[in-house]
Amino acid sequence: MGQNQAAHASSDDVSGEEEFDPIGTLTLIAIYFVILLLAWVYIYYIEFLGRDLVVVG
Amino acid sequence: MSDAIEAEQSFVDKFPDEARIVRAALLSSFLALALGAIFGIIQTLHRTGVFRGIISSTDYYTSLTAHGVFLAISFTTFFLVGLFTWAVTRSLDRPLIDIRITWTWYAIMAVGMTMTGVSILAGFVPALDMSADVLFTFYAPLQAHPMFYAGLAVFIVGSWIAGADWFRTFLAWKRDHPDERIPLQTFMVLTTMAMWYIASSAVAASVLIFLLPWSLGFIDSVNPTLTRTLFWFFGHPVVYFWLMPAYLLWYTVLPKIAGGRLFSDPLARVVFVLFLLLSTPVGIHHQYLDPGIAEGFKFISMTNTMFLLLPSLLTAFTVVASVEYGARQRGGTGLLGWLTDLPWRKPEFTGMMLAGLMFAAGGFSGMVNAGMNINYMIHNTIWVPGHFHLTVGTAVALTFMAATYWIWPQISNKPVYSRAIGLFQVVVWFVGMALMSNAMHAQGIMGVPRRTAEPEYSGFDYPTMFGGFEELNVQIAIGGTLLFVSTVLFIGNLVLTMGNPKVSGLAESLPPALSGPDDAPQVLDSLRLWVGIALTLVVLAYALPLAAIINRGGLLGPGVGTYPAWIAPTLDALAAAVTPILGAVGGAASLAGVIL
Amino acid sequence: MHIHAYEKLWLAASILLILLLIGSVTYGAVGPGVAMVSDSEPPIDAQALDEDDRFSEPRVEQVGDNEYVAYVVAYQFGFEPSPIVVPENSTVTFYVTSRDVIHGFEVAGTNANTMVVPGEVSKITVKTDDRQEYGLICNEYCGAGHHVMEGKVNVVSQAEFDERNSGGDDA
Repeated sequence: MGQNQAAHASSDDVSGEEEFDPIGTLTLIAIYFVILLLAWVYIYYIEFLGRDLVVVG
Repeated sequence: MSDAIEAEQSFVDKFPDEARIVRAALLSSFLALALGAIFGIIQTLHRTGVFRGIISSTDYYTSLTAHGVFLAISFTTFFLVGLFTWAVTRSLDRPLIDIRITWTWYAIMAVGMTMTGVSILAGFVPALDMSADVLFTFYAPLQAHPMFYAGLAVFIVGSWIAGADWFRTFLAWKRDHPDERIPLQTFMVLTTMAMWYIASSAVAASVLIFLLPWSLGFIDSVNPTLTRTLFWFFGHPVVYFWLMPAYLLWYTVLPKIAGGRLFSDPLARVVFVLFLLLSTPVGIHHQYLDPGIAEGFKFISMTNTMFLLLPSLLTAFTVVASVEYGARQRGGTGLLGWLTDLPWRKPEFTGMMLAGLMFAAGGFSGMVNAGMNINYMIHNTIWVPGHFHLTVGTAVALTFMAATYWIWPQISNKPVYSRAIGLFQVVVWFVGMALMSNAMHAQGIMGVPRRTAEPEYSGFDYPTMFGGFEELNVQIAIGGTLLFVSTVLFIGNLVLTMGNPKVSGLAESLPPALSGPDDAPQVLDSLRLWVGIALTLVVLAYALPLAAIINRGGLLGPGVGTYPAWIAPTLDALAAAVTPILGAVGGAASLAGVIL
Repeated sequence: MHIHAYEKLWLAASILLILLLIGSVTYGAVGPGVAMVSDSEPPIDAQALDEDDRFSEPRVEQVGDNEYVAYVVAYQFGFEPSPIVVPENSTVTFYVTSRDVIHGFEVAGTNANTMVVPGEVSKITVKTDDRQEYGLICNEYCGAGHHVMEGKVNVVSQAEFDERNSGGDDA
């Protein structure tokens, strides 16, 4: 098992080094980006600007 | 294969002297963690009103000072010096220049922290005329005992010598390897320490020029805005000083644990350079609501702070991509299916991943903190500690604990007592912090202040939002209790680990990056250049605000008082103590006169 | 330097996010006109507030058509005046200073929030809405009694405000 994994890893290294595309990472981080945007719009434009006693001077 | 592993020397086999000091530093760090956790649970129960029988509400602030200083300064910095000593020695593959110097800085730091710690804890003992109930931020004109400031100065000087120790070791390595790239871990250590020298110079100046002489009675007053600004000159980069060891672990150790390797060495270097450049010229964002500082300076600080998001956002990608690579090496497939092929049973892996997840959430509340005018909504509310319990309290602390399960066996040749307890412990921390931090953020939006023994007031009720005030208090108390339990499990597991017999075969190696240092432009390793630019940015960001602050309030303040004054009461107490003695002596003398 | 295409994409998205954040803050400043407390007020002698005509008698005053000022002193451990009474649907400028240590001035659950530093005067202007009683909190640790430091900001009807004030003049 251990040897198998090692062999697998080294054969992958040769072909995979330049080709590895972290598509899963891109997906996850795109989800994070959308969450950040929505949360920011809510907290800045709705929660913050909608409160009483906005400081204007 | 197992023969090959057994033949491999672990860190402690190769560098026994360095391993010893790494262990000493980590144990100092965990002592601070244990103390901090005790004060943490007392405060959680007190503040939420669940149980107020342990300390009085006045002593709450002594406890809060201890919690802040022990965790934010002692726990973090001692772990950092231990980890950096390991990282420099390991990545340069050579011992430190002179281990006596190494023990010297460790001793100086320990003495400094003991002085500060004693001055804080003395606040619990009314008989002692000593206290330092000034909290971690020690804003004048609240005044601590001189030993509080002196201890901090000694501690910082110790950390400076530590940095010099690593620089000297690096320079010795450089003489032997003139044409090689700086090994990544050493690069991370050196850039972090360069940032630390710049940042800590301001707080050292504030302590040595103003606060210490003032607490000794040599000067009558200080300029509160000036000392506050010098604190935040240091106080924001210090959060990156806490974070950089965690980043070092995420970049260089986490990919290996995940079964992969770092995605990009050049980008890791870019990220650390960006932190060196941008960590310091942003401190004024802690003073958005200060009078006496022009709005323009605040706006500049805001833009700098927003760009400081960049290295952390890049880190999120690089680290997750490195983990994904590991998962795919382990046979992971699909768009997100690979997430199930990760070593979730390893406490070091799960702990660091959960820490990173919390950091992503903390990134959001950090954006709000950075957002200048939105600061009106959450400034000095419990939202802010809600934020930094995600960052330093989890991204950093949980990563440190998780990394300990990986690194401790290599620096002691002792296997972890129970990896199952370790896994349970890191998950409990995550759950506890999720509860506590979420409720703190929600209470903060309601306007509940931070740093108070009794957040409920007699004259009014808070508006209800995401649950009522009381309901959120219960969440905070449950979360805080889980965090305490998690800390106890961690410390217990470590103590039992130390009782384990030594074995061999615990060595771990770190694989090179997918995109190695040769892909990085040579200029990235030019530390002189980056330090020069960093200093320039600091001058640009701070010269005018500091000049304006001094111009307004003077170097020594616009006639502000001192609360409390140490010297007069101390002299009075001394006089009171000496008077009976003098009286007795006088009486004896007169008696003698009569007899003679 | 080799950077993966996805990473370049994320770099671009990150910079876009940062610009959006800075844009939002700028919009808040120029659109709704949110202003930061700043250095507009000259420094003051914190130990001689008795001699200052604004702070020797902390009070609320009408200064214009529907415009009011509130001179507020924060101290260990309270606020003066207490309560601070202002009329509804008016413009109120708070001038807040401290006579001892650093305090906070936070009208709970609202955006009225500022540091109060001895030697400095914090000036913030807000527009009040309908009648409401707000809690006033010191949100900066200021000493052993920090948690008992509280006040009130009562937004009352114009009639009630006038009644209180004329009562004050008679006395």
